[in-house]
Amino acid sequence: MRGRILIGAAGVLGLVAAHTARAQAPEPYRIGMTVAITGPFSAGYAPTYEAYRTYFKRINDAGGINGHPVAITYEDDRGEPQRAAAAAKKLTDGALLLINASISPTYKPVMTEAEATKTPLLFGGGVCPREAFPPATPLIFCTTSFGSKWDSRMALGFIKEQSAGKKVKVGFAAQDIPLSRVELEFAEQHAKELGMDTIPVVVVPGSAADFTPFAQNLKEAGADWVFSWAPWGVEIGVFEALNRIGWKGSYILYGHQPAQDELTRLKAPNLHALTGNAMFIENLPIHAEITNLVKGQTNHPAHYMAEGWTSAMVLDAGLRKCGWPCSREKLAQALSSVSVDTKGLRGGPIEMTADNHYRKATYYKVYRWDTARSAIVSVGGWSKLDIK
Amino acid sequence: MAQALATTVVVASLYALLAAGYVLVYRASRVLNLAQGDLLTLGGYFLFATAATFPGAPALALPLAAALSALTGVLVYVALMRPMAGHPIFAAVLVTVTLGILLRAAIVFVFTDRTRHPLQQLGLTNPPRPLVGGAVVSTFDLVMVGAAVVLFAALLVFLKVSPLGIRMRAAGERALLASQRGINFHGVFALSWALAAFAGGLAGMIYSSNVRLEPSLGILGLRAFAVALVGGLDSLGGVIPAALLVAAVEVASVRYGNALLSDVSPFVCLLVMLLIRPWGMFGTKEELERV
Repeated sequence: MRGRILIGAAGVLGLVAAHTARAQAPEPYRIGMTVAITGPFSAGYAPTYEAYRTYFKRINDAGGINGHPVAITYEDDRGEPQRAAAAAKKLTDGALLLINASISPTYKPVMTEAEATKTPLLFGGGVCPREAFPPATPLIFCTTSFGSKWDSRMALGFIKEQSAGKKVKVGFAAQDIPLSRVELEFAEQHAKELGMDTIPVVVVPGSAADFTPFAQNLKEAGADWVFSWAPWGVEIGVFEALNRIGWKGSYILYGHQPAQDELTRLKAPNLHALTGNAMFIENLPIHAEITNLVKGQTNHPAHYMAEGWTSAMVLDAGLRKCGWPCSREKLAQALSSVSVDTKGLRGGPIEMTADNHYRKATYYKVYRWDTARSAIVSVGGWSKLDIK
Repeated sequence: MAQALATTVVVASLYALLAAGYVLVYRASRVLNLAQGDLLTLGGYFLFATAATFPGAPALALPLAAALSALTGVLVYVALMRPMAGHPIFAAVLVTVTLGILLRAAIVFVFTDRTRHPLQQLGLTNPPRPLVGGAVVSTFDLVMVGAAVVLFAALLVFLKVSPLGIRMRAAGERALLASQRGINFHGVFALSWALAAFAGGLAGMIYSSNVRLEPSLGILGLRAFAVALVGGLDSLGGVIPAALLVAAVEVASVRYGNALLSDVSPFVCLLVMLLIRPWGMFGTKEELERV
């Protein structure tokens, strides 16, 4: 009997101790993230989730930000708008900020929920919505390296530079999704303004069994260059089909996460990857740091983390600036004037202003395979574009 | 024109390999195997796994992956389809839908969602091959065509001539009568699943070597399903002209029409066929009425 009383007393004491410890633990910065961890589009977004998880684990292990841990609740939306809407509704309850790392059809429902609850919304991993560009909507922010219109301007500028005054004919390979089509229709128009001959945009269904007929259309139209800005499968699929049918032109695509692996696999000197993130072949200290930290923590190679890592750095800076206690309004203000040294992950800092929630300047680099050196090389250094 | 023709034959070969799986299972058991596309994906991942286990040894990796695909078909029958015997066909079809979902999830769980290229591990290359008329196809395009030709020839001979093939046809036509005559129809059904999974897996192995490997490849199964229906679900011979027709319409819509139509062209072919001849080009009317 006495033993039971002792066990009971010990139990009560344990509960009291646990409760006290909880009461004394610093309150966290609560953040919500709706992300396509699974589903058909997860390959592009799950690495962002893994980068965030690893980044803030390290922050929390080191004592958090301003003495408070960062508690991120992740909801897998599978890239489905209705799931993203439900996730946003759930996550905005108590969160200081919402992060979206998913495909563009999830944007509208998440933005609606963020607006209704006055929650700042940070896009990291998916293409930046126009609301982040000047004049920015007060609560919308974006850290993703690729941005519509700017990428096309840069790619076409590169083609012009490489052509060295020679008139070239440019083709465009889009996927059958609105974002890709609109971007490349803009690119086609912009190419004409730059004095280039153009081939109407070739729209490719993502589920095409064979990209050869699409490639054949581009080849027969006489494309010297082809620019593709689409999900990775179409970008690289059209290039491989063009190569297969003996096309001799040059190809430039946006270098999503698989670009580094694919340049190495294909070893094709006519394939150019335009990207806003420095490839890990550059072996910068930050690359080694990320590689060490994510070892055994992710399902993806370390170089897939660049996009999510940069986004996490921006959130980190915003929370530090916000201080404690931090409110949604204060955090939005903090992010509006954030300046983040990306340590070489990007070509320059990410600086946001009150009316520019993308960045004051964006930087691009072009990589390609160098047959002589049997390695990936960058074609020149970083190019800067001012975002106005 | 030569290039369009070459592409048509290549795409048709892919569809034919996949559609053969639908027809084999349907003929034997009257079940629509809606997991056929995912069996294609699984075949690709089997190759990726065997190639990673035995790098640079395609002579070992390829047959092993093909054998694993066929074994999967047997396991699917034993574990999932055999217990459905005696239940409505509709329930068995739903089981195949569930199987497809489970396979997709398992693939992501085991292999992650990254795009893979088994050819790298196999140590093989895929150089272009010029054809007459200026057309160019890849080496694995030719392998796809060759595989379809060999598989169909072998299947047609097997079903027509071999005792086991004749038993398979008999079980498909009159299961009760066949069992009364001593035919082990569970064995026959298991064989049909093995052959279907083998055909799908083979298509997946070649496709992933030629193009790419990712968990969402199963979507190709839907196009091949349209091919099977256009040819006639109970007609293996009907698969070949149907695959050529669907592929030709698909390629022509990209080359001479609106590229976006290529995505729906297999289903346009199917719709037209359902309107004019619902049992397919070479299917039998009686079979459809039974469905």
